[in-house]
Order: sequence, then C-alpha cells, then structure tokens
Amino acid sequence: MSTSTLKYSAETSNALLKEVMDRSGQNLMSCYQCRRCAAGCPVGDESGVTPDRLVRMVLLGEKDNALNNLLIWKCLACYTCGTRCPNNIQTARINETLKQMAKEAHIEPNIPRVASFHSSFVKSISHFGRSNELEFMALYEIENYKKGGLTAVKEDIKSTSKLGRSMLKKKRMHFKLDRTKGKSEIKSLFKKAADKRGAKGQP
Amino acid sequence: MKIAYYPGCSLHASSKLYDIQAKSVLGKIGIELSEIEDWNCCGATSASKTDDFLAIALAARNLGIADATGLSEMMIPCSSCYSRTLVSQKALAGDPALRSEINAELAKKVEGKIKISNILEVLLARKKELTDNAVKKLTGLKPACYYGCLLTRFPSDMPITDSVENPVAMEGLLKSMGAEPLDWGYKTDCCGASASVNDADMALKLMSKILKDALARGANCFVTTCPMCQLNLDAYQDEVREKYGIAKSLPVYFITELLGVSMGMGVEQMQIDRHFTDALGLLRELKLI
Repeated sequence: MSTSTLKYSAETSNALLKEVMDRSGQNLMSCYQCRRCAAGCPVGDESGVTPDRLVRMVLLGEKDNALNNLLIWKCLACYTCGTRCPNNIQTARINETLKQMAKEAHIEPNIPRVASFHSSFVKSISHFGRSNELEFMALYEIENYKKGGLTAVKEDIKSTSKLGRSMLKKKRMHFKLDRTKGKSEIKSLFKKAADKRGAKGQP
Repeated sequence: MKIAYYPGCSLHASSKLYDIQAKSVLGKIGIELSEIEDWNCCGATSASKTDDFLAIALAARNLGIADATGLSEMMIPCSSCYSRTLVSQKALAGDPALRSEINAELAKKVEGKIKISNILEVLLARKKELTDNAVKKLTGLKPACYYGCLLTRFPSDMPITDSVENPVAMEGLLKSMGAEPLDWGYKTDCCGASASVNDADMALKLMSKILKDALARGANCFVTTCPMCQLNLDAYQDEVREKYGIAKSLPVYFITELLGVSMGMGVEQMQIDRHFTDALGLLRELKLI
C-alpha cells in the first residue's frame, strides 16, 4: 500500500475528509506530518502504516486505503499518538471512525478476530448489562467460527483453554452470571444507538 | 468516610482479589468503599471501537447512579473503566443536548456532580494515614511501577494530577513504605491487553519489551493499578519468556497488595496466592510475609 502526494485534488478528497472529521471530531487538516505519532505508535512497525500515513490517506481522499489497512485493526487505543500530537489530533479516534466506516461499507476487516472481539464484547453487554468472561468468550468464538470456520477457532480454543485452566487453578475464573437489574434502561440505550446508526448498519 | 465505588466487571470476576485488597487497605484507614447499586459495564475500549453513542451512554448510566448517591467522590480502580467514565462525564458536560437525550432514557439522571478518581489519587491523598499504619518496611523490594495506557492518556484533553509521560504517583507511595522503585523506560507503554486474545503475537512482542526493560534495570517485580495490565503481564508471562528466551520472571503485584503487606496484612487477606506468575517467593525471600 502506498500513498502518493501527487494525486491530491481538493474536489475528490473533500467528501472523505469531511466525513472523517465530522465523525471523529478531529481536525485532520492541522497535521503537518511531524511524525511524533509514528515514533510513539506501538503497532506502527507491524502495521506497515503509521498514524501520520493514515491521516495523509484521508487528506488525499484515498478511501480504499484508509478503510482497508492493518493499522486501523491493530490499533490498541493506547492514545500515545494523540497525547503527543502538537496539533491535538487524536488518531486513535480517527481509527475508531474508520473501523465503523469500513464496517458500514461491508469491507472485510484486515484482522477479522479483532472485529469479532469488540462486537462480541458489546453484544455481551447488551445481554446482561455486564461483561461475563465465559459468555463473552463463547460469543467471540462463535463469531470467529462464522467468519473462518473450524480452523479459525481451533488454535484459539487450545490457547484459551490453557488460560482457562490456569484461571481455574488460581481461582480467577468466575462462574456466577453477573447482571444489571436495570435491563430496560440498557435495552433502550442500545435501541437508541441502533436508531442513530440507522441506515449506517449494525455495530 | 464513605467514597462511592465502581468496581467494573473485572473486579467482580478475574480480578476479585483486587476488589478485596482495595477494600481491606482503605478500610484500615477508615475509608468505606460504597459500591454503587446496579451498575453496568462501562463499554471499555470495545464500545468506543464500535459505537460512538454507546461509548458515552453506557458509562453515563453509572454516572447518574453515582450522582444520586449524594457522595462527592467515586473511585474507579480499573484504568479502562476510569477512562471511559471520565470521558463520558466530560463529553456530557460539554454537550447539553446529548446529556438530555441520554438522561431521557435513565431512571437516575446524570448531574455531573461527582468527582471521578482513580485509585492512586485516593491513596496519595491519604499517604500519611497509610504510612502511619505501616508496620513493615518494604526493604529490598525494587518495583518497576507500570502505569500502562489509560491512567494518563485519554482520547480527549483531560487535566490529570500526574505527569503524562513520566507519572510518579506509585513510586512516591512505595518509597514512603520503604521500597526502592526504579526509573525505567516502559512505564506508560502499552502491554497489548485485549490483543492477547485477538492478536496474540503483537501482544507478546509488546510484553517482551516491557519485561526485558524492567529486568535490565534490576527490578524484582512489577506493580500496577490496572486489572487488565495485571492479568495480561501475569497470565501470559510464561509464554512471553518462552517465545523471547527471557530467563527470569517477575511477579506482577497490584499496588494494594504491597500496601496491605506493609500494613501487616497476610497472604490470605490479600489473596496473594491468586497470581499466575509466582508472587509469594519474593515476599518470603524479603521476609515480608
């Protein structure tokens, strides 16, 4: 994946830039490519894209590249990039927006398991109001199975059950279902979120 | 004195020991942690990665419940819960329309009154009471104090009480208990947390850097306040060592168990036997338990 500085056209780049700025609340236009974010990014090396490159893709209107790269899925939301940015751009927020836009555009996530992890976690909150580790892990593996079949979950089940065994041994596994009584409130917040997404699609 | 308390999901489950430790240590100096009733999950990082509204609204319900207690301060030990709750409170203060929209769905409305504190702020404000109650000096303990990401870095501007790049609250507390905390380079670097499940090689690599640096500086343990970081560095440490050929291991303590030990509390009360990486050997060797 490469970005070209030669292809800039205000007319074609503006739609993407405006949507990302509105949704993330970040002023991408103040980026002067100092790369302090890149220096601090813990996953930049492995992603092949650093936060400054991502900002540049959006500025150039390279929608395909911006919605389809490893950084938006490897990002750990550690907020180092944004904390160090001299122009107060929080790239992690831009990543969150781009992830949501990629989902809405039905683009297959570059790391499907990351997408499954976060959507399963949120789904588990919608069920009981609290996250229960066993239920959440089950939802996550079901999601992985749906996306990648048995091979996608085989390795996981091996490593997860190893962790599960030591958690049992150390009395850190929790079997009681923790739940929130105010379920109707949680439900209505989730409904409101769905209404707001409207045509934009499911989380 | 009563402080409102939001434990979050992990202190009710895999990090129940942290909940027990926090209550014991603060109880000893006359602070009662009053768990807010019927709280829900804050949404953690996952909500903000999937839905901007839920990322604010889930924590807002807890803020409404906390405001209704009439207490002035709420302590949140988990860094992720602390961060999401603080971010939600700030977002709602700056956006009255969003606040009324969310409040319309809530039985207990967000007023924005309650002060949200992390566990270090609560402990530091009572440093004198803590040291007054100490019966053992933590001599020989050389912790690498590990803050992780979410205690000092936020997705929006947030005034914090410690340094963003070089926080020192934990070092200060432990020094006053006789420990010798070390300067090191990875105290606010990310350990990977959720990536251990969904992007394992990445997480192991990040943890290897943290572990190697702490060992090279001569640390004999990690100390942290975040249950996500604690579980990660503790449960996956064997795998990190095996993959990266690191000979030594380091116990990963919660700040509360070391304070408890110095206040004379034992293994059972502090539940120090619930670590994945041996945490008892060092304390025995130093004759602290």
